[in-house]
Amino acid sequence: MAIKRSDFPLPDVDEPSTAPYFAGAARGELVVTRCTGCDRYVWFPEPLCPTCGGALEWVPVSGRATLFSWAVVRRPFLPAFDDKVPFITALVALEEDPAVRIVTNIVDAEPDELRADMPVEVTFRPLSFATVPGRSVIVPMFAP
Amino acid sequence: MAAAADWGYASELDDVSGAVAIAGIGETAYTKASGRTAREIGAEAAERAIADAGLEPSDIDGLTFSGAFPDFDAAAFHEHFGTSHDLWTSPWGGGMAWAATAPYLAAQAIKRGDARHVLNVFPVAWATQRSSMTGGPGEVHATQAMKQNFEVPFGWFPQPVYFATIMRRQMLEFGTTEEQFGAVAVACRRHANLNPDAVMHGRPMSIDDYLAAPFLADPLRLFDSCLISDGGAAYVTTSIERARDLPNVPAVVKGVGEGYSASGTHWAQQRAFTSTPQVFSAPPAFAMAGVAPADVDLLTVYDPFTVVSLMQIEDMGFCPKGEAGAFVEGDTLFHDAGKLPFNTHGGLLSHAYVLGIAHVVECVKQLRGSAAAQVPDAEIVVYGGYTGHMASTLVLTKDR
Repeated sequence: MAIKRSDFPLPDVDEPSTAPYFAGAARGELVVTRCTGCDRYVWFPEPLCPTCGGALEWVPVSGRATLFSWAVVRRPFLPAFDDKVPFITALVALEEDPAVRIVTNIVDAEPDELRADMPVEVTFRPLSFATVPGRSVIVPMFAP
Repeated sequence: MAAAADWGYASELDDVSGAVAIAGIGETAYTKASGRTAREIGAEAAERAIADAGLEPSDIDGLTFSGAFPDFDAAAFHEHFGTSHDLWTSPWGGGMAWAATAPYLAAQAIKRGDARHVLNVFPVAWATQRSSMTGGPGEVHATQAMKQNFEVPFGWFPQPVYFATIMRRQMLEFGTTEEQFGAVAVACRRHANLNPDAVMHGRPMSIDDYLAAPFLADPLRLFDSCLISDGGAAYVTTSIERARDLPNVPAVVKGVGEGYSASGTHWAQQRAFTSTPQVFSAPPAFAMAGVAPADVDLLTVYDPFTVVSLMQIEDMGFCPKGEAGAFVEGDTLFHDAGKLPFNTHGGLLSHAYVLGIAHVVECVKQLRGSAAAQVPDAEIVVYGGYTGHMASTLVLTKDR
């Protein structure tokens, strides 16, 4: 059960169920999964649409969202976060469908500037950890 | 309330009201790291529950345990007791939400004639395992692909961070204050200080102590969060007729409910982010039992974080949605003075993190009149189980 991957907690860009998200970020696109049958967004990805059973496809979205909730993490729960605390981890609700919540970091803002449901926009940033030297992955983060 | 909610559903359960009762309970010591294995802990809890019921291990012909953490299964049972008889088993018991529904499984097995005396066991040794960085709630979650790639890299991990964001959203939506979250933690600690078996016994805590403790993930403070513990408990369920022949006052299973969210298992994607599936679980359980929330003498709920207690108190109907913060202020939750005595053993916050099995044992003790923080004349007691997308409800009463 233990996590053996040496680049943890960087995302595993080779994991098929999540790889397109990071490939999209590398191109500068925020992509999520949508059903080809009923056009509903499905997030997180599922093997098939839970509503109609249709196949899912990865589609780009605007990158505009609202700040649904956030926490200012002060204790590093993993050694990789020792030099990152405090940082803002957040859930943002997509403009296209607020039921789709992206788990992300809020950047370019101080905690006391944050307000419920304020508009935020995607920005693609390299994520790296001191515990995984020499590696980084471009990921979607959000800023006011 | 429940009529308007469309984000989840209740399991269809048969009416088992009054058919079975909990006739024996057993507990191990509740501790920080003990160096013991969960299997050893489970065996000790099982042994004590069987003895408490006035039974022999060979009388136990049914066993429910946790399929997710199968530390005390049929093989462990037989190895420990040196037995080899047929044992009806189900991996849908143990702790968490299943600590409430295991008596339902027992009732069904007893009705079918598959078993007469059904043991439900749940041990945990996460405090011991944590020192070797194996096991524990965080690792279980981090192994899932979606969490590992969409949540953990952004520091939305582990559980204290999920619930910090739920707390924040609850504060934003309903105006819940930090002192109101603190009231839950203070009440649980007060009860732990009356209970010599609680890990936090002898460690009093005031609201000022709560507010002075560090944030783990603002707005979630240290004492909003449960312990990590070693320990376990078990109970024996049998038919009401059989229970009346055994030494203890029966704790009668009057109502059981089970509810699910329809938006998957991930906390981040729960459509009703500040609710629990108690919205779907509690009403049918109360209906089966023929009681209303106002009749309840004691509520225990699975309380990994203070916000989970507030959400369940609302979702089970003890106060309107969004008002639990104001509801729990003052002495509301106290065992001796409150209008809703709550987690009277100390809960996951201050008793031990044994994932709800001790909550059910506490309910039984309260009905027997043998609890450390005894609620006067407790006759109707409730356990609310919770595991994110699932909740469960167990109503136990005195035999009348």
